[in-house]
Amino acid sequence: MRWLRRAAPHLVLIPFSLAVVLPLLWLLRVSLTDRRTAYQIPPEWSTPHLGNYVEIFTAYPFATWFWNSLSVALLSTAVALPLATMLAFAFARYNSGGAPLRLSILASQMLPPIVMVLPLFAVFLGAGLLNSRTAVVIAHVGMNLPFLAWMMIAFFEGEVRQLEEAARVEGATRFQAFWKVAVPVAAPGLLAAALLAFIMSWNEFLFALILTGKRTATLPVGLSTLDTHRGVEIALLAAANMVAILPVFLMMPFLRRYLIKGLSLGALK
Amino acid sequence: MTAAIAQRDRWFGFAMTLPGLLALLLVVLFPILFTLWTSTSDFTLLKPSNDAFLGLSHYTQAFATPEFRHALSVTLAFVVAVVVLEFLVGFAVALALDKVEHGKAVYYVILLFPLLMNPIVVGLIWKMFLHPTLGIVNYVLSLVGIPPVDWLGVPDNAFWTVVAVDIWHQVSFMIVLLLAGLAALPKEPYEAARLEGAGTIRCFFWITLPLMRPVIVVTLLIRLIFAVKTYDIIYIMTRGGPGQATELVSYYIYRRAFVGLDVSQASAMAVILLLVVLALTAWLHRYMRSLAQ
Amino acid sequence: MKKFLLASSMLIASAFGAEAQTINILMESVPDTRYVQEMLPEFKEKTGIDVQLEVVNYAEMHTKLVPQLVAPEGSYDVIIVDFYWVGEFTKAGWLQPLDERIQADEFPVDNYIPSIMDLTGKVDGTTLMLPFYNYAMGLTYRKDLLEDPKHQEAFKAKYGRDLKVPTEWPEYLDQVKYFSEDAGIEGFKGVVNQGQRPDPISMEWSNYLFANGGRYYDPETWQPTLATPEGIAALTQYRDSIQKYGPIGAANFSFDDAFNVAAQGKAYSYLTFNMFRPVYDDPASSQVVGKMEIAPVPGGGMNGSWGWAIPKSSPDPDAAWEFIKFIESPEIAKKRALLGGAATQKQIYEDPELIEKFSYYPQLGELLAYAQNFPVFTYTPEFVDVLGRELSLAVADGKDPKEALEQVDKDFAELLRKDGKLQ
Repeated sequence: MRWLRRAAPHLVLIPFSLAVVLPLLWLLRVSLTDRRTAYQIPPEWSTPHLGNYVEIFTAYPFATWFWNSLSVALLSTAVALPLATMLAFAFARYNSGGAPLRLSILASQMLPPIVMVLPLFAVFLGAGLLNSRTAVVIAHVGMNLPFLAWMMIAFFEGEVRQLEEAARVEGATRFQAFWKVAVPVAAPGLLAAALLAFIMSWNEFLFALILTGKRTATLPVGLSTLDTHRGVEIALLAAANMVAILPVFLMMPFLRRYLIKGLSLGALK
Repeated sequence: MTAAIAQRDRWFGFAMTLPGLLALLLVVLFPILFTLWTSTSDFTLLKPSNDAFLGLSHYTQAFATPEFRHALSVTLAFVVAVVVLEFLVGFAVALALDKVEHGKAVYYVILLFPLLMNPIVVGLIWKMFLHPTLGIVNYVLSLVGIPPVDWLGVPDNAFWTVVAVDIWHQVSFMIVLLLAGLAALPKEPYEAARLEGAGTIRCFFWITLPLMRPVIVVTLLIRLIFAVKTYDIIYIMTRGGPGQATELVSYYIYRRAFVGLDVSQASAMAVILLLVVLALTAWLHRYMRSLAQ
Repeated sequence: MKKFLLASSMLIASAFGAEAQTINILMESVPDTRYVQEMLPEFKEKTGIDVQLEVVNYAEMHTKLVPQLVAPEGSYDVIIVDFYWVGEFTKAGWLQPLDERIQADEFPVDNYIPSIMDLTGKVDGTTLMLPFYNYAMGLTYRKDLLEDPKHQEAFKAKYGRDLKVPTEWPEYLDQVKYFSEDAGIEGFKGVVNQGQRPDPISMEWSNYLFANGGRYYDPETWQPTLATPEGIAALTQYRDSIQKYGPIGAANFSFDDAFNVAAQGKAYSYLTFNMFRPVYDDPASSQVVGKMEIAPVPGGGMNGSWGWAIPKSSPDPDAAWEFIKFIESPEIAKKRALLGGAATQKQIYEDPELIEKFSYYPQLGELLAYAQNFPVFTYTPEFVDVLGRELSLAVADGKDPKEALEQVDKDFAELLRKDGKLQ
């Protein structure tokens, strides 16, 4: 029975992982071929070549797009996360502003972003920040903050408060109780929120489109240029996508240390 | 609790919210107020300024537009489909991932892959895979004797194909959040329940679900808000067609503003959408509170 | 954040700091943009002006442009305008008239093919753009099969006419039917269509409309004329092409989906933008190298083009004009055409050197001479949206063609009235 208990999760995870990985393997294959071979049915196995990978870096400013996206996503997450965590703690423990405030914060993200394009453009034009990555970072902080705050509220509300109360009795200030007790206990939630904030910024297209210029274009804006008026450069797109999902591996050490350990730490309490 | 402590609690809460609120005010307040103002005015791309006050006429006009009502109903079906299906799949995977003893990091990395893909790319590659005559999916089906499926060329198929692609792309969003929620659960209640002889299924319904409630609600809510805003996949894969099968409201509003040039009308529709989603959120929030007490 | 401010100000400094004058141009990602890029060193040498091309996705270009054009001063000195947007941009007053500059520099505007100049050049007597490249539609077909004696014999026996490059529309429809039903090639279809909403289907169906002798509106009164016998015949034929004779899924094909079917050698014909013609001969994209040819669509195909323009919000209109004058000069236009560009000037299609290089140039010249224009008015994009919706409903969702076209006429008339064209 014990082996069954151990095998059961894999019965869910293996089919799920295959559903994710098989299309990506096929995409990898597309990235190593050309458009003609990519669409050939039945498939023909030609010698794989790395030409598409070379081309995205030489004929397109892929490295610039990648770096712009990475810096925007990291920076906007680094700014939004602490702000959102403080906000969430105040909501969860002190009910600051009550339900109307938290609802209106979330409501700010319920408009389809397209109607915000003109006013947002005007704001950044007025601030002289147009065509800069700073503009996108600021826009993404505004976009992510409400979601992050709501995620963190859920995690703080799920927490047991005795630890914080004990710390207060022992003389910790309110901020210390937050910083030294509540935040570490909420580490799994914090990590998930950071991850999702990074991803939301990494994929955001519309604001990046209107706020960036040639040198500051992010990956989504750059990748979309491979869908041209004369057809989709599917093999280049596949190659670009393969590189664009690499940040997962940049996160690996971080994930190993904090996620896996953090998860068990959370379960210990 | 004395009044002084309560007062200091209030101040502390206020201080903690201040930086975040300021950041939000700076970035989103003006665009939102502007949208509200525009929705009662006469802003078009041909005459890009708010000059006349037209009251709620754009709002009544919106409801009188059959395409808008149709888009709302398609969006409702789409949002319910993706949120429910992603939640069921996502929760199952999150539970498995929480329990699994080996390969956790590998599984976790795998599930992150689709999330890091841009929606435009996701749409384009799935369009390629699902190409009825040149796509790998129909080819694989043909190997086991299944005739080619017209994934996107028939209205009903197209709707479910778009739903499926969205699930492939976004289900991991839910998994990440739900898994974090599961990881933060305390162990004691389970030990107590086991001592009383409760099995796995009972533990799930008695302990896991109630303790997970805040995280579940937030997960559903955030996915719902994103699902309402779904745009790129539709734009790449179907443009709202065939016929009007995948006419999602965000794509419709985009066209009112940037194709129909009527920014005021689009703003009114956007505000209607906001009110609908907000009402839903408020109801969910309240429901969650009432359960917690 | 400080680091970013510093970095971006350094970037700006490196762009503007040197004495070199710089202009910024927003373009879309097509080969023609690459050919422009290759001309830039020559321009810099001649004028000392540095040109920065910013390339965005075609579909998102309008979204990117509009905030820039609404603003008092934008980032772009030169823009390119699709014929779709001409009415809108003109009505909104976003473009600078070029007539004075053309006169002062005696720029040879008569070189342009008249129908293209009508589309992305002159608007109501004022020159607001110079045509940049064309994307008129043509009939691309399998030359090898058309010339195969086996098929010629079988076709003649069944349809009682010769299998040749079609000059009449019914002739083409017979060929479609023959290659789908009678030719006996497995998995092969007589036609592939681009049935996706809104522009692929609208652009392609326009060819069917013109071929049936139909038109969008009465040129005298602007009264819409789609729910006519010609229009209904065109839509019925188009629906049959997709549902009876075409590959499955064509009801939602973008031009890329449809092109790949033709390029994989799975269809006899595809009515498409002429700039796809050279791609058929690219071994990296096509299985039918040397086997496809292009001909004018019987009845005159759909026209299409992009134009250069100087927006009102242009920071440096004089340098912008210098650039347009250079890139559109006959000499440079020929150089771009030699690289593969889709030219808009007449003399290029008669140039022996170019005909030598591109065997299909005479056909292209003819195709452009007969191409017909889509209705251009302020609400063209919204009209395309309405048309695409109704066509798609008729093709994929069982709506009666007559009913669909009546709905289009009704909505079209409303848009024309809003624009003051129709009384």
